[in-house]
Amino acid sequence: MLIRALFLSALPAFAAEATVEFNRDVRPILSDKCFGCHGPDATAKKIPLRLDREETAKGDLGGRRAVVPGDAAASTLIQRVTATNKGLRMPPIASGHTLSDKEIATMRRWIAEGAKWEKHWSFLATVRRPQPTVSNQKWIRNPIDAFVLARLDKEGLKPSPEASKETLIRRVSLDITGLPPTPAEIDAFLKDTSGTAYEKLVERLLASPRYGERMGIRWLDAARYADTNGYQFDGERVMWRWRDYVIESFHRNKPYDQFVREQIAGDLLPGSGLEQKIATGFNRNHRANTEDGIIPEEYAVEYVIDRVETAGAAFLGLTVGCGRCHNHKYDPITQKEFYQLFAYFNNIPELGRAMKYGNSPPLVPAPTREQQAELAALDARIAKAEGALARQSAATKKAQQAWEQRLANERPVYWAPSTLRDAHFDLDDALPAKVGNPVAAAGRIGNAVALDGMSYLQIPMAGQFDIDERFSISAWAWRECETCSVIARMTDSPTGKGYGVHFKDGKVLVTMTSNFNDDAIRYESEATLPARQWHHLAITYTGSRMAEGLILYVDGRPAKTKVLLDTLYRPFRNAGRAFSEPLRLGAGNGKEQRFIGRIDDVRVYGRVLTPDDIAGLALGESLNEIARKADAKRTATEQRQLHEYFMDNAAPDAARKQWAELTALRLDREKLERTFPTVMVMAESTTPKKSYLLNRGQYDQPRDEVQPGLPAVLPPMAPGAPNNRLGLAQWLTDPQHPLTGRVFLNRVWQMVFGTGIVKTAEDFGLQGDWPSHPELLDWLTTEFVRTGWDVKAMVKLMVTSAAYRQSSSATPELTQRDPENRLLARGPRFRMPAEMVRDAALHEAGLLYEKMGGPSVKPYQPVGLWKELIMQDMDYVQSKAPDLYRRSLYTFWKRTIAPPMMANFDSALRETCVVRENRTNTPLQALNLMNDVTFLEAARFIGQRMLKEGGASADDRLRYGFRLVMSRLPAPRELDLLKSNLQYHKDYFASKIERTDAYLKQGDSPPDPSLNRSELAAYGAVASLMLNLDEAITKE
Amino acid sequence: MHPIEETKLAITRRHFFGKSATGAGAAALASVLQGEAKAATGGLPGIPHFAPKAKRMIYLFQHGGPSQLDLFDYKPGLSRVRGEDLPESIRMGQRLTGMTAYQTKFPTAPSIFKFAQHGKGGMWLSELLPHTAKVADHLCLIKSLRTEAINHDPAVTFFQTGFQLAGRPSIGSWISYGLGSENQDLPAFVVMVSQGLGNAQALADRQWSSGFLATKYAGVKFRAGADPVLFLSNPDGYESGARRRFLDDLNKMNAMKLDTEQDPEIATRIAQYEMAFRMQSSVPELTDLSKEPDHIFDLYGPDARKPGTYAANCILARRLAERGVRFIQLFHRGWDQHGNLPGELPKQTGQTDQASAALIQDLKQRGMLDDTLVVWGGEFGRTVYSQGTLTETNYGRDHHPRCFSVWVAGGGFKGGLTYGETDDFSYNIVQNGMDVHDLHATLMHALGVDHLRLTYKFQGRHYRLTDIHGNVVKELLT
Repeated sequence: MLIRALFLSALPAFAAEATVEFNRDVRPILSDKCFGCHGPDATAKKIPLRLDREETAKGDLGGRRAVVPGDAAASTLIQRVTATNKGLRMPPIASGHTLSDKEIATMRRWIAEGAKWEKHWSFLATVRRPQPTVSNQKWIRNPIDAFVLARLDKEGLKPSPEASKETLIRRVSLDITGLPPTPAEIDAFLKDTSGTAYEKLVERLLASPRYGERMGIRWLDAARYADTNGYQFDGERVMWRWRDYVIESFHRNKPYDQFVREQIAGDLLPGSGLEQKIATGFNRNHRANTEDGIIPEEYAVEYVIDRVETAGAAFLGLTVGCGRCHNHKYDPITQKEFYQLFAYFNNIPELGRAMKYGNSPPLVPAPTREQQAELAALDARIAKAEGALARQSAATKKAQQAWEQRLANERPVYWAPSTLRDAHFDLDDALPAKVGNPVAAAGRIGNAVALDGMSYLQIPMAGQFDIDERFSISAWAWRECETCSVIARMTDSPTGKGYGVHFKDGKVLVTMTSNFNDDAIRYESEATLPARQWHHLAITYTGSRMAEGLILYVDGRPAKTKVLLDTLYRPFRNAGRAFSEPLRLGAGNGKEQRFIGRIDDVRVYGRVLTPDDIAGLALGESLNEIARKADAKRTATEQRQLHEYFMDNAAPDAARKQWAELTALRLDREKLERTFPTVMVMAESTTPKKSYLLNRGQYDQPRDEVQPGLPAVLPPMAPGAPNNRLGLAQWLTDPQHPLTGRVFLNRVWQMVFGTGIVKTAEDFGLQGDWPSHPELLDWLTTEFVRTGWDVKAMVKLMVTSAAYRQSSSATPELTQRDPENRLLARGPRFRMPAEMVRDAALHEAGLLYEKMGGPSVKPYQPVGLWKELIMQDMDYVQSKAPDLYRRSLYTFWKRTIAPPMMANFDSALRETCVVRENRTNTPLQALNLMNDVTFLEAARFIGQRMLKEGGASADDRLRYGFRLVMSRLPAPRELDLLKSNLQYHKDYFASKIERTDAYLKQGDSPPDPSLNRSELAAYGAVASLMLNLDEAITKE
Repeated sequence: MHPIEETKLAITRRHFFGKSATGAGAAALASVLQGEAKAATGGLPGIPHFAPKAKRMIYLFQHGGPSQLDLFDYKPGLSRVRGEDLPESIRMGQRLTGMTAYQTKFPTAPSIFKFAQHGKGGMWLSELLPHTAKVADHLCLIKSLRTEAINHDPAVTFFQTGFQLAGRPSIGSWISYGLGSENQDLPAFVVMVSQGLGNAQALADRQWSSGFLATKYAGVKFRAGADPVLFLSNPDGYESGARRRFLDDLNKMNAMKLDTEQDPEIATRIAQYEMAFRMQSSVPELTDLSKEPDHIFDLYGPDARKPGTYAANCILARRLAERGVRFIQLFHRGWDQHGNLPGELPKQTGQTDQASAALIQDLKQRGMLDDTLVVWGGEFGRTVYSQGTLTETNYGRDHHPRCFSVWVAGGGFKGGLTYGETDDFSYNIVQNGMDVHDLHATLMHALGVDHLRLTYKFQGRHYRLTDIHGNVVKELLT
């Protein structure tokens, strides 16, 4: 009887176990109470006795042995934990730990029975054991049931009867799609009396896109997905393409191993495409700091640590993060091994300080499927247009030759790229916006402006680009100064904000500055440009906010440059303030650095010009001159210029029209491309970053260098595998891996049954809970691998089991015996997760807008919530219908101020990885359901549906509404109550019209004007009552 | 509990036991409701660990990093070295924030404000704190606190949770988890945020979240305006009587469900709806300051009549304390004077000095100061050297984690005591240094909680507010 109550800590009051099992019974005690000192970190603390290792626990330590198998009395372990002398007694008082008599008895019995040692269960490979024989073979629907029933048999419990069909369809619809069934779906299921009705239902639900969303949201919790950066400023980022990748992957039932490999190492996989690159966003979902005063190196380390901790919890179910500062106290993971894992995730070209707004590099443009299709369609049309032009090329060519003949003798004309030109200043005639005394002088092309070191041109509306936009600038410059600005849009100062092209000691200096000290891109050409001659200067910028995206061309060729600073993170517009500096020619770096010399033909484009475009501009040669050259003597650039100009201006009508169409299509393509969202991704640095063991986890205390590597307690990498993220991904998804499959299936089990087979879903280590059904978890895992990591097959297996299909009604005895329902003598019953509570209400109201994917939306939220806490310029702008009614996983997630309804209902907060579902029951939830406009409006629409669809009598209408929400018909006494409640509300609203008017105003979508208003209000109030019922927010 | 509320609750119970619920469900319900009542007086078994000095705590968090040099830490010698570079012997290569790391000069900036001694203890305080000066003999001023973090968000997170990383429970959550609530009609942990006039930094909900503890221990934010607690008010057109009827019917239907399902969660839910209903009357009653007499408003200052101000929140803090709310935390933003400190700082103290002192006086006159802890302080201090150019009348100060000042009043802390010393530049601690964990441990001690023994197992580890650190500084306690 002593043993019977032993397992209270792990599992509630279950039947006696025949023997003591080290893994189940003894190690948890040692781990929790002893390993803090006598565990993996003991050696570092110079404590000789380690109880986490068999050889030291049983070994001879100077004539004493902690564990003497078969002889408890001779074991110092028992002597010390039972010592009456307080100075000798273990654990020491200062540790705060005590051992109960039961725990001591267990250890004693384990030693007496031979002290059999086992490796921790979750580090051992899964074993597919035969299905146990059970008391009632007829109950078994699939192997899950055999394992469940075997345990119930052992406990002397019987399964509950099968739940009603209505309960089942509601339960399984909620579990698979996150939404309750519609009345029509219920009717169809009730009508289908075939033996396969339930399987068909499950198949239908699994095929729904809603399944991808339902599975997806838990993955977002684990991946700490959000729409903002977190930390102090908490600016917006754009990661929804990664979110949609997750939803799609579940929906299309991507094998789990592939899903994992893509997210860990999609960029390194053979044949990696856009989808695989997007997948790597998993490791970029961590918070990112943009606060002004931070030390970037500190946060660069934090991000990598976050990746290790998240991968540890999400894939391995291990708390590897404990190894950051010291050897893990409980699990066999050393500090060095932690930093070996760190090394896998460290080799990424990123900065510790993130972009204040938007995504931080590395990132990729990530067109949606629709955009990809649109792009493909445009490309096809472009190819077709090009083909059409090519077919008539003989005739066109002839016409062009004739034109060239004429052109040779006409006045000079020049070619320039045509699309998305922002501004052009030929500076030939009148000079724009003069400051001082700029004068005309002979230019490179026609006239130029001559500047004297005091004068410049100031053009207000040109070049108004910010650091996240694409642009190009091209100009000719003849310098007679060493350090001076050519063209800039800056707060006129050498340390000013804005972008510019300057000369510095005769070299070209390119700047893009938000803060001169530490928030800028700045580089200079390696070469000095000779003075007093014309040079063509151009920059193109991709909006990447990195030096690599800002290219300098000198005389038509990319220039070799030396980067001085590459840490830009804030846009010019900042903190709600616009940046409205004019574009200046000959100025930008302040009074001391005005330009002396001449500037000519300045061109500004709102796109990234190609190298060929720049080469063309740098030719500086009139088309007339080119036309005079013999065909064979012209360069390709020259040929292109002639041809394009001809097609633009002089080709025969038909060809010119086709050409114009082609040009328009190309412009459309440009415009389309810039609407592509980006996504932050993983990439490998070209110059490998070194990783070090960091003393106490501090970024500024590196010790020995470490190489990527795996904890020794886990299986090694396959021979020949690359020792990088790709190798890591392959290792994780090896069919023999002891953790990957178990950890994921345990979470699926948790979604379905409420609690994982291992309750501590985040911890499969030594401090984690013992599995309620270890053999079942192993069987499921081997089945998972056998089916090719088929997630839908596993969900189907779970929801078609007899264990799942039981009624959830309990008896007082059962509630007391197994309050958490770990033994599954009844079906699962627990409050729905936050997103499901809201989604179900919208669905029942007929308001839910079932659109998959896309940018996040901003549903109702109490006014001012952001304003109260934020700094500047990021207010909550509520979406409009139908975006008000999207599923909750599309709700914009601001990390520092989570959507309040979600937070109220225990949602993961998305700052760190969360894999365990949490459920509390609070008054704030009650207030939320009663008074939040989301639920009041939904209730009004349910009321409206009762009136319009529910039939003519109050009884029918109430039945209809009740069924919308509860998926069943009300019992007579329930209906009586509802009727009386309806009558109360009818009287209440009819007696004062002001009440009705006010009450019906909730929400953006107006009521149907054909309905009687006070009646609608009354039905709405009853619907609100329904939405507040325990059953409405519970999966049972 | 308030007697009216008690009656109301009794009526409610009679109401649905009498009319609907029968059998085992009703019994379970009854036990839950009794449990709720019992739970109102205690948290975890065995806590308090020893006789507490304080029953509750009001934490006046001054967000942004108030300058110790201009408020508490008097350094008369600095005027002699005004404008001189901070000596390397003092700076000792300590890390700087990215905001001043690029400065080539670190000119010493003495405070422009005058200091004088106050109270029997002779506590030095700046002229910016005339009202605080009047209660100096109630204050235990700690001048030797230090923190690990140098930027706002991690530094506040560290103060609030004992860790710089996100995801850990806040101090208020730990306290309400350990000690429970004394009031059935109000949350155990209430937060209020006011907007300062200075450079306000963003705050995050995380700062009062319950981390890995159950959500019910999270701080409930009270806001100025019609809905002091989110979703507290009934919708327009829906009066309290209708809500009562709504709840009666809701409870009856839930009780029927309890009968068939036997799930104790249903009983808990019924109890939570009742608590929600009580909050609908208790919170507006609490936040309605109209019955506060004029002399109270005069005590807290003119701002006190404006809802949402720091001063109004200080009155609310007292009212919450009177009603047995365990942990009350005010955040006042705007203490981040990187530039123009002489111009900005007086605005901040103008908003906070009188009300902070008034709260002490008000608690004192009600006999509550002895068992209420009042804490005043920010997340770090500020540098002695000027950020930006030092002029005759102007300077700024950057973040400084190595020493700063916090005061604690009441609840068993020694009044009139100035504890700890910094060097001549208020740059390093020279005597009686205290970590944030030490402050936490000492505050918990005053509440009767052994910080080593208030733990929660998460991710295999027994977490506590003080991580693996923290010493109770007994010298601070009576």
